[in-house]
Amino acid sequence: MNFSPSWLYTDEYEDRRRDYESPDDKLKTAIIKLGEVDPVEELPRLEQQIRDHVPRNIPVLSEAFRIGVTEQPYKIPFYAALLRLLHNTTELSIPGESSLGRVILEDFWKGFQAYLDKVEWRETRLCIHFFAHLTVAKLVSADSMFSLLRSFTAVLDEFGVSHGRAKRAALCAGEGLLIAGAALKADSPAISDEIIHAIQAYAETTTQQKWLVSPSTRISSQMIPSDGTVELLDILLSSLVTLNKSDFKDTGNCMPQPYKNSAEIDPTILTPYVLPAVLVPPEVIEFDSMSTDSGEESQVKKEEWPEFFIRLFPDDVSPDPKSPPGYVVRTALLDILDIFEVNRKECARLLLEYPKWNLSGTFKPKPGAPVETEPMPGKDWQLESTIIEIVLGSYLILPESSKKSIYYIALITELCKLSPSTVGPAVGKSIRKLYNSLSDGLDVEAARRFAEWFAVHMSNFGFSWVWKEWVPDLSLPVQHPRRAFMRRAIEFEIRLAYHDRILKTLPESMQTPDAYTIAEQAPGPAFEYDDPGNPHHDAALAVLNLFRGRAKAEDVISHLDSLKSTLEASEDGHVNVDSVIRSIVVQSLLHIGSRSFSHFLNAIERYLPLLRNLASGGTSSVGGNGNPEAKADVLTAAASFWKHNRQMVAIVFDKLMQYQIVDPTDVVGWTFLNGVAVGQLAELAGPMNLSAFEWDLLRGALDKANGRVTIARRKVAALRKEDDDARARYKARADETMEVDPEPKESTEETEVPAVPEKEVPQVENPAITTALKAFSSLTKEQKAALSRTLEGFVSCLAPSATDAHANPHARTVITEAAWENRANWGRDEWNAWETWGWYRQFCRAYSPYLRTYSTTLYMVSFSRFEHVKDPAADLLKLVWNIATGQET
Amino acid sequence: MAHVVSSLDQPSNYKDSQTRVDRQRQNDLLAKSTTLYIGNLSFYTTEEQIYELFTKCASPEDGGGIKRIIMGLDRNTRTPCGFCFVEYYTHAEALASMRYVSGTKLDERIIRCDLDLGYKEGRQFGRGKSGGQVRDEHRQDYDPGRGGWGAQAQRIEIERRKEVEERYADAQDGPGAVAGGGGDWKQEDNAAQADRKLKRGRSPEDEGEADTRLGQRAKIEEDIEAERM
Repeated sequence: MNFSPSWLYTDEYEDRRRDYESPDDKLKTAIIKLGEVDPVEELPRLEQQIRDHVPRNIPVLSEAFRIGVTEQPYKIPFYAALLRLLHNTTELSIPGESSLGRVILEDFWKGFQAYLDKVEWRETRLCIHFFAHLTVAKLVSADSMFSLLRSFTAVLDEFGVSHGRAKRAALCAGEGLLIAGAALKADSPAISDEIIHAIQAYAETTTQQKWLVSPSTRISSQMIPSDGTVELLDILLSSLVTLNKSDFKDTGNCMPQPYKNSAEIDPTILTPYVLPAVLVPPEVIEFDSMSTDSGEESQVKKEEWPEFFIRLFPDDVSPDPKSPPGYVVRTALLDILDIFEVNRKECARLLLEYPKWNLSGTFKPKPGAPVETEPMPGKDWQLESTIIEIVLGSYLILPESSKKSIYYIALITELCKLSPSTVGPAVGKSIRKLYNSLSDGLDVEAARRFAEWFAVHMSNFGFSWVWKEWVPDLSLPVQHPRRAFMRRAIEFEIRLAYHDRILKTLPESMQTPDAYTIAEQAPGPAFEYDDPGNPHHDAALAVLNLFRGRAKAEDVISHLDSLKSTLEASEDGHVNVDSVIRSIVVQSLLHIGSRSFSHFLNAIERYLPLLRNLASGGTSSVGGNGNPEAKADVLTAAASFWKHNRQMVAIVFDKLMQYQIVDPTDVVGWTFLNGVAVGQLAELAGPMNLSAFEWDLLRGALDKANGRVTIARRKVAALRKEDDDARARYKARADETMEVDPEPKESTEETEVPAVPEKEVPQVENPAITTALKAFSSLTKEQKAALSRTLEGFVSCLAPSATDAHANPHARTVITEAAWENRANWGRDEWNAWETWGWYRQFCRAYSPYLRTYSTTLYMVSFSRFEHVKDPAADLLKLVWNIATGQET
Repeated sequence: MAHVVSSLDQPSNYKDSQTRVDRQRQNDLLAKSTTLYIGNLSFYTTEEQIYELFTKCASPEDGGGIKRIIMGLDRNTRTPCGFCFVEYYTHAEALASMRYVSGTKLDERIIRCDLDLGYKEGRQFGRGKSGGQVRDEHRQDYDPGRGGWGAQAQRIEIERRKEVEERYADAQDGPGAVAGGGGDWKQEDNAAQADRKLKRGRSPEDEGEADTRLGQRAKIEEDIEAERM
């Protein structure tokens, strides 16, 4: 097709203009691209190119270094080497004048200072890496480097420092020491101990938090198993301790130090750069100007937990993260994972190219590639396994990963696409390892994410998993974590594909109904009144026909009124007529909308007034938040209609909340009472418990409640800002008019406030703000109610009262060490209780920022009844709660 | 991050060259767009499958989520013809889909996402001569997920087709054919007011982007798509 519309030329022109590079830009690009072939070989040429470039533009050069250092941290040692070369004097140098390298370094520092001022932790930390290498190269004074690191350890001593801040500061100080240790310690031997002790002292204060977020801890014991997982600050510390023992002589065994190829600098000839003193800006506490009615402010802050990484491979396959070389590899890969999140394809490529930036012999050569270097003793690791371990480790961090789950999932897909023959086996081994760890108490949230990854991954690779190898596990109890995993993974796969597609990937023994692994039939609707034998078949058919004929909502309502009288007469008080009608209406409406998500939305939207009427319990005056019983009936009817399709249950609940038919609190309350009955596998039902499905419903409700508060808060803030701006503009204009001669009034398009002299500027808040504040206050109450109902639900599940008929008899028994050791003999109820405990932990740690806001009230409501009662279950509930909400325990 | 690699969440260059909306305005709309155009779908992929994948980019805790999905239909047969729109509540979610979902598989096909100016009435229908997407007019290959060459689709796909063929038989056009998905939270008395009017609840943004010129002549994505092939 030879078709080029004229606009194309304009675009091309624009693109070309954009792509035009000035000589400065070209040099910058050359610096950023250092090492495309071989970084060490390229250094002298690049040095020359920089020196030859006239006129000299220092800001451009230092910016190129900053971009290189902060966006390609794996190149930092080579940038240090380049800067080292630029410190050499040439025949053109003027004696007494600073070298080019020094001038660049001084300008680079300004950029660092800017990162620090804005508390951009990653950039700050990577610049510290750079300075640390320069310290080893003797371009930066060891003394000033130590002072720099000290400003970061000082953060650890701040009163009430948040874990997020302390962790990042510790990484800055610790990694700086790790790289520059030899030079620092030579300068002043006590340095390393001081930094290590500071980090250690901080890490020791986090023991309880660690217990709550380690994916392999037990409910029953505060001990954290040392194998299988590692914690970020712990591995930093163990690496530092190891290096410190040999006075950091082994640093050269962990990372390239290409600047050492240059002649050692004589400090009497070239005085090292003295880094200016800095102060880490104080923690920003954004005091929320909007307080809830009770005076509690609701600031949400994330990342308050220690970071545990699951290990999937032995030390000879992937590096031991507790060892210095292992720590260096891990940090480098984690940084790539973080920085290149914007482009997962490039990220995958860079991860697989990583070995070229580390010492040769660190990783095994690619299969088939010529072996050019000897493997380094104790190294020779398998790159793909290392990468997968680190990506999955980041994905499985509790209570949540720093990026969206789907990022890690998509990244692994890209890695597999780039190198299927090497990445594929690493993925397969990881799946088996994680699957095996399910028996040893892998955290329930980690297990849920594992199933999610598994399903999405398989959906990208033809659903080809060898299920056969897990057939023997069908003899385990039906709620055993391994069987729960299989079921869940298959359910997720079906959602992404369709029932028959997944069924045929399973061995026959898993297909049968008594295997409780895959649903017997495709997840269709279940219209209870379809059956002519149903006593309300005719009544439902009449309602259904009204909907089909698109009858007006008010006509349906009047029909229901007469139906109610009929039923009341015929049923003679045997059934709750209101409940029956609610069920008929909701199921019929869902039936109308059962063809697709859009059909469902259309059906609901057409009959919103009817649904609101229904949810209000039939009372015409809509006040308050409807009738709890009526709303529970609506949810029950919806769940019953979609009992074969749990995805639809979650979707319908979500939209019922969105359309304000029900509130998040209703969904929470409903889930604790009824959630367990949804699904095809009747065998799974049992006494009160929570599985991942019920957790997803809870999460949906809590996120909805929290999300609404977030929006309302933003709205108030935006309105206030608008208001302030309008006032400021107004004041400015008023001032102007007083100074200059009065002009005719401009149109008040921009501000609604009529022009009045300054002293008369109305001090009352504008009505929009008042309304927004009112909404904020309502939503905050709803948020608190939803959180409170959730906590209460967990407490009554896990420390049930003696009179609770639905209580799980094992809620209290599974929490002892002895019980856990005996898990081989556990049945359905024990595993159910264990999983429910797991979700309680997840609730507390994932929602801790919200729970903290209301911790006093919620504690009173749910825990005061256990005062002076000896109940280990209540004690454990309180312990988890107190850790999550930051109370002293 | 613009220095070392480009971000995957950029709208494609080809966008809307044929609308009368000027480039600047298009860019402004795209810079806050909450809607994605999804291409290369199988004709048999359901909205629920799409929901399942795209909900992984949702941020409900930030007030987000999937607002609605609009299945692209063959103008004549009212059957899915291989594209759809996914509308979120927030822009960040649309960007996340560009970064993490575009270029991955759904229903065993690699799907493509593009930031979109926003759904307008009439855009749910294909614009090819035969009613489907233009790309399927010109396609030379055998593609079982998109109707094969003719009726030769695999047996299992035929089973799925039966359901699919009937699903959208009731699809309408004209105003109000497509649901809104639920708008922002409103104080109770507002809701009560809405009750009295018996009016469909829509979010304010639905009418907000009032650029009437966009209406019928919005982007002719299929032509563009054909050029891309």
